[in-house]
Amino acid sequence: MQLYSPLSTTPKRKAFRAPALASIAGLRIGILENGKLNAEEMLNEVAALFVERNGCTVRTLASKKNASAPAPGNTLVTVAQEVDFLITGLGD
Amino acid sequence: MAALAPRIHEAPDDLLAAIDYCYEQGWTDGLPVVPPAVDRVKAMLIADRRSPETVIARHPATGLDLSLHAAAVNAVMAGCLPEYFPVIVAAFEAMDRPDFNFHGSTASTGGSAPLLIVSGPYADGIGMNADVNLFGPGNRANATIGRAVRLILRNVFQMLPGISDKSTQGNPGKYSFCIAERARGNPWPLLCEAQGYGKGVSSVTAYAGGGFCNVENHGGNTPEQVLGSVADAMANYGCITLGQTVVILAPEHMLIVADAGWTREKAQDFLFSQAKRPVEGMQGVGKYREREYDAQHGAGAHRLAETGFMHRGLGPEDILITMGGGDAGGHSCFIPSWSRGRGSIMQHAAIAIPADKRS
Repeated sequence: MQLYSPLSTTPKRKAFRAPALASIAGLRIGILENGKLNAEEMLNEVAALFVERNGCTVRTLASKKNASAPAPGNTLVTVAQEVDFLITGLGD
Repeated sequence: MAALAPRIHEAPDDLLAAIDYCYEQGWTDGLPVVPPAVDRVKAMLIADRRSPETVIARHPATGLDLSLHAAAVNAVMAGCLPEYFPVIVAAFEAMDRPDFNFHGSTASTGGSAPLLIVSGPYADGIGMNADVNLFGPGNRANATIGRAVRLILRNVFQMLPGISDKSTQGNPGKYSFCIAERARGNPWPLLCEAQGYGKGVSSVTAYAGGGFCNVENHGGNTPEQVLGSVADAMANYGCITLGQTVVILAPEHMLIVADAGWTREKAQDFLFSQAKRPVEGMQGVGKYREREYDAQHGAGAHRLAETGFMHRGLGPEDILITMGGGDAGGHSCFIPSWSRGRGSIMQHAAIAIPADKRS
Protein backbone atom coordinates (compact mmCIF):
# COMPACT_ATOMS: atom_id res chain seq x y z
CA MET A 1 0.00 0.00 0.00
CA GLN A 2 1.39 3.40 -0.96
CA LEU A 3 0.84 6.13 1.63
CA TYR A 4 1.50 9.83 1.35
CA SER A 5 3.55 11.35 4.13
CA PRO A 6 1.44 13.75 6.25
CA LEU A 7 4.40 16.01 6.97
CA SER A 8 5.05 19.46 5.53
CA THR A 9 6.84 19.55 2.23
CA THR A 10 8.60 22.80 3.14
CA PRO A 11 12.36 22.32 2.74
CA LYS A 12 14.13 22.40 6.10
CA ARG A 13 15.47 25.84 6.90
CA LYS A 14 19.14 26.07 7.61
CA ALA A 15 19.59 27.50 11.07
CA PHE A 16 22.89 28.59 12.52
CA ARG A 17 23.80 29.33 16.09
CA ALA A 18 25.75 32.50 16.72
CA PRO A 19 29.34 31.78 17.65
CA ALA A 20 29.92 31.58 21.39
CA LEU A 21 31.34 34.72 22.96
CA ALA A 22 34.97 34.30 23.99
CA SER A 23 34.31 36.38 27.10
CA ILE A 24 31.40 38.33 28.49
CA ALA A 25 33.55 40.72 30.49
CA GLY A 26 32.49 44.32 29.84
CA LEU A 27 30.00 43.47 27.12
CA ARG A 28 26.75 45.30 26.36
CA ILE A 29 23.56 43.54 27.38
CA GLY A 30 20.14 43.82 25.81
CA ILE A 31 16.98 42.72 27.58
CA LEU A 32 13.96 41.46 25.68
CA GLU A 33 11.00 41.25 28.04
CA ASN A 34 7.79 39.61 26.93
CA GLY A 35 5.22 41.67 28.81
CA LYS A 36 4.23 38.91 31.19
CA LEU A 37 3.86 39.43 34.89
CA ASN A 38 7.31 39.86 36.49
CA ALA A 39 9.22 39.41 33.22
CA GLU A 40 10.94 42.79 33.36
CA GLU A 41 11.71 42.44 37.06
CA MET A 42 13.23 38.98 36.64
CA LEU A 43 15.31 39.95 33.62
CA ASN A 44 16.59 43.10 35.32
CA GLU A 45 17.72 40.96 38.24
CA VAL A 46 19.57 38.63 35.89
CA ALA A 47 21.15 41.55 34.07
CA ALA A 48 22.23 43.05 37.40
CA LEU A 49 24.23 39.90 38.11
CA PHE A 50 26.09 40.28 34.80
CA VAL A 51 26.78 43.92 35.66
CA GLU A 52 28.03 43.03 39.12
CA ARG A 53 30.07 39.97 38.25
CA ASN A 54 31.26 40.70 34.73
CA GLY A 55 31.31 44.47 34.39
CA CYS A 56 28.63 44.41 31.70
CA THR A 57 26.43 47.38 30.88
CA VAL A 58 22.71 47.25 30.18
CA ARG A 59 22.10 49.10 26.94
CA THR A 60 18.63 48.22 25.72
CA LEU A 61 15.29 47.14 27.09
CA ALA A 62 13.05 45.92 24.31
CA SER A 63 9.51 44.71 24.85
CA LYS A 64 7.13 42.40 23.06
CA LYS A 65 3.47 43.31 23.21
CA ASN A 66 2.49 39.71 22.60
CA ALA A 67 4.34 37.31 24.85
CA SER A 68 3.66 34.24 22.77
CA ALA A 69 4.36 35.61 19.31
CA PRO A 70 7.85 35.79 17.85
CA ALA A 71 9.60 39.13 18.40
CA PRO A 72 9.09 41.48 15.45
CA GLY A 73 12.00 41.34 13.02
CA ASN A 74 12.73 45.05 13.30
CA THR A 75 13.00 44.76 17.08
CA LEU A 76 15.68 42.11 16.76
CA VAL A 77 17.54 44.01 14.03
CA THR A 78 17.61 47.18 16.14
CA VAL A 79 18.69 45.42 19.30
CA ALA A 80 21.40 43.43 17.51
CA GLN A 81 23.12 46.64 16.47
CA GLU A 82 23.29 47.97 20.02
CA VAL A 83 24.26 45.02 22.16
CA ASP A 84 26.67 42.09 22.30
CA PHE A 85 24.22 39.62 23.78
CA LEU A 86 20.55 39.49 24.64
CA ILE A 87 18.79 37.90 27.58
CA THR A 88 15.17 36.94 27.49
CA GLY A 89 12.81 34.67 29.36
CA LEU A 90 9.30 34.14 30.65
CA GLY A 91 8.04 36.00 33.65
CA ASP A 92 5.15 33.85 34.84
CA MET B 1 12.38 27.91 -1.77
CA ALA B 2 10.27 25.46 -3.78
CA ALA B 3 8.37 22.81 -1.86
CA LEU B 4 9.60 19.25 -2.04
CA ALA B 5 7.46 16.60 -3.71
CA PRO B 6 5.24 14.79 -1.20
CA ARG B 7 7.02 11.68 0.00
CA ILE B 8 5.44 8.28 -0.60
CA HIS B 9 5.88 5.48 1.92
CA GLU B 10 5.59 1.81 1.01
CA ALA B 11 3.44 0.36 3.78
CA PRO B 12 2.10 -3.17 4.20
CA ASP B 13 -0.98 -3.98 2.10
CA ASP B 14 -2.72 -5.44 5.14
CA LEU B 15 -4.89 -2.66 6.54
CA LEU B 16 -4.18 -3.38 10.19
CA ALA B 17 -0.48 -3.55 9.48
CA ALA B 18 -0.75 -0.22 7.63
CA ILE B 19 -2.42 1.32 10.68
CA ASP B 20 0.43 0.02 12.81
CA TYR B 21 2.85 1.51 10.28
CA CYS B 22 1.25 4.94 10.84
CA TYR B 23 1.72 4.52 14.58
CA GLU B 24 5.35 3.62 14.07
CA GLN B 25 5.91 6.78 12.05
CA GLY B 26 4.55 8.94 14.91
CA TRP B 27 1.72 10.26 12.74
CA THR B 28 -1.21 9.77 15.13
CA ASP B 29 -2.90 11.57 18.00
CA GLY B 30 -2.88 8.33 19.94
CA LEU B 31 -5.91 6.90 18.19
CA PRO B 32 -5.72 4.77 15.04
CA VAL B 33 -5.73 6.72 11.78
CA VAL B 34 -6.98 5.86 8.33
CA PRO B 35 -3.83 5.08 6.32
CA PRO B 36 -3.45 7.95 3.82
CA ALA B 37 -3.48 5.85 0.68
CA VAL B 38 -2.65 7.73 -2.49
CA ASP B 39 -6.06 7.29 -4.12
CA ARG B 40 -7.91 8.52 -1.02
CA VAL B 41 -5.77 11.65 -0.84
CA LYS B 42 -6.41 12.39 -4.51
CA ALA B 43 -10.14 12.01 -3.92
CA MET B 44 -9.92 14.47 -1.03
CA LEU B 45 -8.10 17.02 -3.19
CA ILE B 46 -10.94 17.08 -5.72
CA ALA B 47 -12.85 19.16 -3.17
CA ASP B 48 -10.52 22.12 -3.84
CA ARG B 49 -9.75 23.03 -7.42
CA ARG B 50 -6.51 24.83 -6.72
CA SER B 51 -3.11 23.27 -7.23
CA PRO B 52 -2.25 20.79 -4.44
CA GLU B 53 0.94 22.78 -3.81
CA THR B 54 -1.08 25.87 -2.86
CA VAL B 55 0.02 27.04 0.58
CA ILE B 56 -2.94 27.89 2.84
CA ALA B 57 -1.12 28.53 6.14
CA ARG B 58 2.40 29.00 7.48
CA HIS B 59 3.65 28.45 10.99
CA PRO B 60 5.25 31.75 12.03
CA ALA B 61 7.90 30.23 14.28
CA THR B 62 9.00 27.15 12.36
CA GLY B 63 8.36 28.47 8.86
CA LEU B 64 6.64 25.21 7.94
CA ASP B 65 3.97 25.51 5.25
CA LEU B 66 0.61 23.81 5.05
CA SER B 67 -0.20 22.93 1.45
CA LEU B 68 -3.55 21.71 0.27
CA HIS B 69 -1.89 18.36 -0.34
CA ALA B 70 -0.64 18.00 3.23
CA ALA B 71 -4.02 19.12 4.54
CA ALA B 72 -5.70 16.45 2.44
CA VAL B 73 -3.36 13.71 3.67
CA ASN B 74 -4.17 14.55 7.28
CA ALA B 75 -7.89 14.88 6.53
CA VAL B 76 -7.86 11.34 5.16
CA MET B 77 -6.04 10.13 8.26
CA ALA B 78 -8.63 11.82 10.50
CA GLY B 79 -11.45 9.99 8.72
CA CYS B 80 -12.87 12.95 6.79
CA LEU B 81 -15.00 12.67 3.68
CA PRO B 82 -14.02 14.92 0.74
CA GLU B 83 -17.01 17.19 1.32
CA TYR B 84 -15.59 18.12 4.73
CA PHE B 85 -12.37 19.39 3.19
CA PRO B 86 -13.53 22.98 2.40
CA VAL B 87 -14.24 23.48 6.11
CA ILE B 88 -10.70 22.46 7.06
CA VAL B 89 -9.24 24.73 4.38
CA ALA B 90 -11.31 27.71 5.54
CA ALA B 91 -10.36 27.05 9.15
CA PHE B 92 -6.65 27.18 8.39
CA GLU B 93 -7.05 30.24 6.19
CA ALA B 94 -8.66 31.92 9.19
CA MET B 95 -6.05 30.70 11.67
CA ASP B 96 -3.24 31.81 9.38
CA ARG B 97 -3.98 35.46 10.11
CA PRO B 98 -1.43 37.00 12.48
CA ASP B 99 -4.02 38.05 15.06
CA PHE B 100 -4.95 34.42 15.66
CA ASN B 101 -1.37 33.83 16.78
CA PHE B 102 -0.88 30.36 15.48
CA HIS B 103 2.35 29.75 17.32
CA GLY B 104 1.35 30.93 20.76
CA SER B 105 -2.00 29.24 20.76
CA THR B 106 -0.53 25.88 19.81
CA ALA B 107 2.65 25.96 21.87
CA SER B 108 1.62 27.61 25.12
CA THR B 109 1.29 26.04 28.55
CA GLY B 110 -2.30 27.30 28.42
CA GLY B 111 -3.28 24.16 26.52
CA SER B 112 -5.65 25.66 24.02
CA ALA B 113 -7.45 23.80 21.26
CA PRO B 114 -8.76 25.52 18.15
CA LEU B 115 -12.55 25.53 18.45
CA LEU B 116 -14.27 25.60 15.05
CA ILE B 117 -17.84 26.86 14.78
CA VAL B 118 -19.35 26.14 11.38
CA SER B 119 -22.23 28.44 10.48
CA GLY B 120 -24.62 28.39 7.55
CA PRO B 121 -26.15 25.89 5.17
CA TYR B 122 -22.94 23.99 4.46
CA ALA B 123 -23.00 22.59 7.99
CA ASP B 124 -26.32 20.87 7.34
CA GLY B 125 -25.21 19.96 3.84
CA ILE B 126 -22.40 17.78 5.14
CA GLY B 127 -24.41 16.40 8.03
CA MET B 128 -22.80 18.25 10.92
CA ASN B 129 -24.33 18.09 14.36
CA ALA B 130 -25.64 21.28 15.95
CA ASP B 131 -28.07 19.48 18.21
CA VAL B 132 -28.06 16.87 20.99
CA ASN B 133 -24.61 16.08 22.41
CA LEU B 134 -23.18 19.04 20.53
CA PHE B 135 -19.62 18.74 21.83
CA GLY B 136 -19.81 14.99 22.30
CA PRO B 137 -19.06 12.01 20.11
CA GLY B 138 -21.21 10.41 17.46
CA ASN B 139 -21.08 12.65 14.40
CA ARG B 140 -18.49 11.91 11.76
CA ALA B 141 -18.19 15.42 10.35
CA ASN B 142 -17.80 17.17 13.70
CA ALA B 143 -15.39 14.56 15.03
CA THR B 144 -13.16 14.19 12.01
CA ILE B 145 -12.94 17.85 10.95
CA GLY B 146 -11.77 18.74 14.45
CA ARG B 147 -9.42 15.78 14.47
CA ALA B 148 -7.94 16.79 11.12
CA VAL B 149 -7.04 20.16 12.62
CA ARG B 150 -5.16 18.41 15.42
CA LEU B 151 -3.35 16.04 13.05
CA ILE B 152 -2.28 18.96 10.86
CA LEU B 153 -0.95 20.82 13.88
CA ARG B 154 0.96 17.70 14.87
CA ASN B 155 2.22 16.39 11.57
CA VAL B 156 2.58 19.47 9.38
CA PHE B 157 3.46 22.10 11.96
CA GLN B 158 5.24 19.69 14.29
CA MET B 159 3.46 20.90 17.41
CA LEU B 160 4.42 17.81 19.36
CA PRO B 161 3.27 17.29 22.95
CA GLY B 162 6.11 17.86 25.38
CA ILE B 163 8.46 19.17 22.70
CA SER B 164 6.90 22.12 20.92
CA ASP B 165 3.41 21.88 22.45
CA LYS B 166 4.04 22.69 26.10
CA SER B 167 0.46 22.50 27.39
CA THR B 168 0.51 22.08 31.14
CA GLN B 169 -2.64 19.98 31.14
CA GLY B 170 -4.10 20.44 27.65
CA ASN B 171 -7.82 19.90 27.28
CA PRO B 172 -10.00 17.18 25.74
CA GLY B 173 -10.77 19.46 22.80
CA LYS B 174 -7.24 18.87 21.61
CA TYR B 175 -8.49 15.60 20.10
CA SER B 176 -11.32 17.39 18.30
CA PHE B 177 -13.21 20.63 18.97
CA CYS B 178 -15.64 21.33 16.16
CA ILE B 179 -19.35 22.13 16.23
CA ALA B 180 -22.04 23.49 13.96
CA GLU B 181 -24.15 26.47 14.92
CA ARG B 182 -27.77 25.43 15.33
CA ALA B 183 -29.95 27.10 12.68
CA ARG B 184 -33.16 25.25 13.54
CA GLY B 185 -35.15 27.42 15.91
CA ASN B 186 -32.38 29.99 16.25
CA PRO B 187 -34.06 33.38 16.79
CA TRP B 188 -30.94 35.39 16.04
CA PRO B 189 -29.10 35.96 12.77
CA LEU B 190 -26.64 33.15 12.13
CA LEU B 191 -23.01 33.95 12.73
CA CYS B 192 -22.25 33.84 9.00
CA GLU B 193 -24.89 36.55 8.45
CA ALA B 194 -23.66 38.64 11.38
CA GLN B 195 -20.13 38.31 10.00
CA GLY B 196 -21.32 39.92 6.77
CA TYR B 197 -21.20 37.01 4.35
CA GLY B 198 -23.68 36.92 1.50
CA LYS B 199 -26.78 34.82 1.30
CA GLY B 200 -25.99 31.13 1.13
CA VAL B 201 -22.36 31.59 2.12
CA SER B 202 -21.27 29.56 5.13
CA SER B 203 -18.39 30.38 7.42
CA VAL B 204 -16.11 28.84 9.95
CA THR B 205 -15.01 30.71 13.07
CA ALA B 206 -11.73 29.65 14.67
CA TYR B 207 -11.12 30.40 18.33
CA ALA B 208 -8.28 29.37 20.60
CA GLY B 209 -10.41 27.72 23.27
CA GLY B 210 -8.95 27.21 26.70
CA GLY B 211 -11.38 24.57 27.89
CA PHE B 212 -15.08 24.02 28.46
CA CYS B 213 -17.27 25.21 31.31
CA ASN B 214 -20.81 23.87 31.66
CA VAL B 215 -23.33 26.49 32.86
CA GLU B 216 -26.27 24.78 34.53
CA ASN B 217 -29.39 26.76 35.30
CA HIS B 218 -32.74 24.99 35.44
CA GLY B 219 -34.43 27.50 37.72
CA GLY B 220 -33.86 30.82 36.00
CA ASN B 221 -36.67 32.02 33.78
CA THR B 222 -35.61 35.54 32.87
CA PRO B 223 -32.73 36.68 30.65
CA GLU B 224 -31.09 38.30 33.66
CA GLN B 225 -31.16 35.05 35.61
CA VAL B 226 -29.96 32.82 32.79
CA LEU B 227 -27.29 35.19 31.52
CA GLY B 228 -26.39 36.13 35.07
CA SER B 229 -25.25 32.56 35.66
CA VAL B 230 -23.31 32.62 32.38
CA ALA B 231 -21.64 35.89 33.37
CA ASP B 232 -20.65 34.46 36.72
CA ALA B 233 -18.97 31.51 34.99
CA MET B 234 -17.17 33.91 32.66
CA ALA B 235 -15.79 35.87 35.58
CA ASN B 236 -14.87 33.12 38.03
CA TYR B 237 -11.47 33.81 39.51
CA GLY B 238 -9.94 30.86 37.74
CA CYS B 239 -11.10 32.02 34.32
CA ILE B 240 -11.32 35.79 34.35
CA THR B 241 -8.84 37.53 32.07
CA LEU B 242 -9.03 40.23 29.44
CA GLY B 243 -9.42 37.54 26.78
CA GLN B 244 -12.37 36.85 24.51
CA THR B 245 -15.34 34.60 25.20
CA VAL B 246 -17.52 32.07 23.41
CA VAL B 247 -20.95 31.30 24.84
CA ILE B 248 -23.14 28.56 23.34
CA LEU B 249 -26.65 28.93 24.70
CA ALA B 250 -28.76 25.82 25.02
CA PRO B 251 -32.11 26.12 23.20
CA GLU B 252 -33.96 26.23 26.54
CA HIS B 253 -31.87 29.17 27.67
CA MET B 254 -32.07 30.85 24.28
CA LEU B 255 -35.85 30.62 24.37
CA ILE B 256 -35.95 32.51 27.66
CA VAL B 257 -33.58 35.19 26.38
CA ALA B 258 -35.11 35.67 22.93
CA ASP B 259 -38.74 35.43 24.02
CA ALA B 260 -38.08 38.44 26.22
CA GLY B 261 -37.04 40.33 23.09
CA TRP B 262 -33.33 40.31 23.72
CA THR B 263 -31.07 40.59 20.69
CA ARG B 264 -27.56 39.19 20.46
CA GLU B 265 -26.21 42.70 21.03
CA LYS B 266 -28.27 43.21 24.16
CA ALA B 267 -27.11 39.87 25.52
CA GLN B 268 -23.49 40.78 24.77
CA ASP B 269 -23.89 44.11 26.58
CA PHE B 270 -25.41 42.39 29.58
CA LEU B 271 -22.74 39.70 29.79
CA PHE B 272 -19.94 42.22 29.52
CA SER B 273 -21.44 44.45 32.19
CA GLN B 274 -21.93 41.52 34.60
CA ALA B 275 -18.82 39.43 33.99
CA LYS B 276 -16.48 41.25 36.33
CA ARG B 277 -14.70 40.97 39.66
CA PRO B 278 -13.66 43.70 42.09
CA VAL B 279 -10.02 44.72 42.15
CA GLU B 280 -9.78 43.72 45.82
CA GLY B 281 -10.95 40.23 44.95
CA MET B 282 -8.48 39.99 42.09
CA GLN B 283 -5.75 41.11 44.44
CA GLY B 284 -6.92 38.54 46.95
CA VAL B 285 -6.21 35.69 44.57
CA GLY B 286 -2.99 37.29 43.34
CA LYS B 287 -4.19 37.85 39.78
CA TYR B 288 -4.44 41.61 39.70
CA ARG B 289 -1.85 43.56 37.81
CA GLU B 290 -1.80 47.32 37.93
CA ARG B 291 -2.68 48.79 34.54
CA GLU B 292 -3.20 45.33 33.00
CA TYR B 293 -5.38 46.87 30.29
CA ASP B 294 -2.51 49.08 29.16
CA ALA B 295 -0.03 46.20 29.24
CA GLN B 296 -2.27 44.13 26.97
CA HIS B 297 -3.70 46.77 24.74
CA GLY B 298 -1.37 49.74 24.70
CA ALA B 299 -1.16 53.02 26.56
CA GLY B 300 -4.52 54.53 27.28
CA ALA B 301 -6.49 51.30 27.30
CA HIS B 302 -6.85 51.56 31.06
CA ARG B 303 -9.59 54.13 30.59
CA LEU B 304 -11.74 51.27 29.32
CA ALA B 305 -11.84 49.72 32.75
CA GLU B 306 -14.62 50.40 35.22
CA THR B 307 -13.15 51.92 38.34
CA GLY B 308 -12.65 49.25 40.97
CA PHE B 309 -13.46 46.32 38.70
CA MET B 310 -11.88 44.09 36.12
CA HIS B 311 -14.22 42.87 33.38
CA ARG B 312 -13.81 39.82 31.21
CA GLY B 313 -12.66 41.09 27.80
CA LEU B 314 -12.40 44.63 26.51
CA GLY B 315 -15.99 45.11 25.43
CA PRO B 316 -19.25 43.40 24.48
CA GLU B 317 -17.96 42.61 20.99
CA ASP B 318 -15.38 40.31 22.57
CA ILE B 319 -18.21 37.88 23.38
CA LEU B 320 -19.46 35.51 20.67
CA ILE B 321 -22.89 34.12 21.51
CA THR B 322 -24.95 31.66 19.57
CA MET B 323 -27.17 28.62 20.08
CA GLY B 324 -26.40 24.93 20.05
CA GLY B 325 -27.34 21.66 21.66
CA GLY B 326 -30.46 19.59 22.21
CA ASP B 327 -33.91 20.90 23.02
CA ALA B 328 -33.98 19.53 26.54
CA GLY B 329 -31.83 20.75 29.40
CA GLY B 330 -30.69 23.99 30.93
CA HIS B 331 -27.05 23.43 30.05
CA SER B 332 -25.23 26.16 28.20
CA CYS B 333 -21.49 26.57 28.11
CA PHE B 334 -18.78 29.17 28.34
CA ILE B 335 -15.47 28.61 26.59
CA PRO B 336 -12.67 30.91 27.74
CA SER B 337 -10.08 32.14 25.32
CA TRP B 338 -6.65 30.65 25.79
CA SER B 339 -5.29 34.19 25.64
CA ARG B 340 -5.35 36.41 28.70
CA GLY B 341 -5.67 39.46 26.49
CA ARG B 342 -5.07 40.20 22.83
CA GLY B 343 -2.72 37.24 22.41
CA SER B 344 -5.20 35.49 20.15
CA ILE B 345 -8.25 37.00 18.48
CA MET B 346 -10.92 34.78 16.95
CA GLN B 347 -11.05 34.78 13.15
CA HIS B 348 -13.57 33.68 10.57
CA ALA B 349 -13.48 32.78 6.89
CA ALA B 350 -15.95 31.84 4.20
CA ILE B 351 -16.20 28.21 3.20
CA ALA B 352 -15.42 28.08 -0.50
CA ILE B 353 -17.37 25.41 -2.31
CA PRO B 354 -16.47 24.35 -5.86
CA ALA B 355 -19.10 25.63 -8.32
CA ASP B 356 -20.23 22.15 -9.32
CA LYS B 357 -20.84 21.23 -5.68
CA ARG B 358 -23.14 24.14 -4.91
CA SER B 359 -26.79 23.28 -4.53
